[in-house]
Amino acid sequence: MKNLKILLVDDEEEFVTTLAERLQLRGIQAQATTDGEDALRLVKSDEPDMIVLDVMMPGISGLEVLKRIKAQNLQIPVILLTGRGDTKEADEGMRLGAFDYLVKPVNIEELIKKMGAAIKSQS
Amino acid sequence: MSEQEEKEIAFIGKITAGITHEMKNVLAIIRESSGLMEDIMAISPEAMIKHQDKIQSSLIRIKDQINRGVILTDRLNKFAHSSDETIAKIDLNEMIEQLIELSQRFAGLKNVVLKTNSPEILGLSIITRPVLLQMALFTSIECCLDSMPAGGEINIFTKKKGKRNEVCILCEGTLPEKPEFARSISASEKWPALQEIAVSLGGSVTLDESAYGIMLVLMEEIR
Repeated sequence: MKNLKILLVDDEEEFVTTLAERLQLRGIQAQATTDGEDALRLVKSDEPDMIVLDVMMPGISGLEVLKRIKAQNLQIPVILLTGRGDTKEADEGMRLGAFDYLVKPVNIEELIKKMGAAIKSQS
Repeated sequence: MSEQEEKEIAFIGKITAGITHEMKNVLAIIRESSGLMEDIMAISPEAMIKHQDKIQSSLIRIKDQINRGVILTDRLNKFAHSSDETIAKIDLNEMIEQLIELSQRFAGLKNVVLKTNSPEILGLSIITRPVLLQMALFTSIECCLDSMPAGGEINIFTKKKGKRNEVCILCEGTLPEKPEFARSISASEKWPALQEIAVSLGGSVTLDESAYGIMLVLMEEIR
């Protein structure tokens, strides 16, 4: 997992930057952004190994970001974050090609476990 | 229920559901921030940070309260979303569990514990009015609380008999004689309202004089 390049996308800045710091302490190269457009730009310029993406964001939603990534035939695994008690949006995300999803607040060990599974599925 | 009343309930549900999403974000930030503090403590030499044990016990308390907040927020979120559709397919046992969590505080004020015990019927689905059903369950609890002394328990569980679904709300503890207890429930000012709600659900409510409680009868599908 070390040296893995992860892009974290969530409009809650305090959440996403703190989560990035925690992953960095574990040797993961985590980059955070709060904006869907910026996420799409970073996908092109930085070529992350994986994306952790919030479903519900103002502007371009997480599901729209996912759709655009998949439309470009990019093979980057995407783990969705959903704040909802029900899993309607997460199910839609899985249908669109997400690797998996987690319900917020996230347990970091669970996230790392899912990230490991996503990387394994790629190799 | 009139169309206007249904719109009012849906409005309250929508706003409440929106707020629960925000509350989840707040909890997520607190969890990550306390987690970061834990991470830093774990990699710092003990001598560098004074009172490590006190900080650690505080962090454990924060974590416990976040978990509590997450459970409550989830319950409140589901409760708010129950007004999304006037008539919907619901899992009766799941709804009882959810309502018990949300009503525990009201029962706690009288030192009464709410519990459910329906292990034999998993996935008991019915088509009903979710908001009204929760009102029926809550009003049943209120009727029991009005009639029982402090302390004791209320056990809510389901029974299935063909297309008939029974919800038993039974009081346990130091209670008066059964006929007196039954009279007390039927004299509760909430009892007529409960009867009215049960009829609106296409069912009925009766006093179970043999077992210290109320029986709510619901059809598999509301007409």
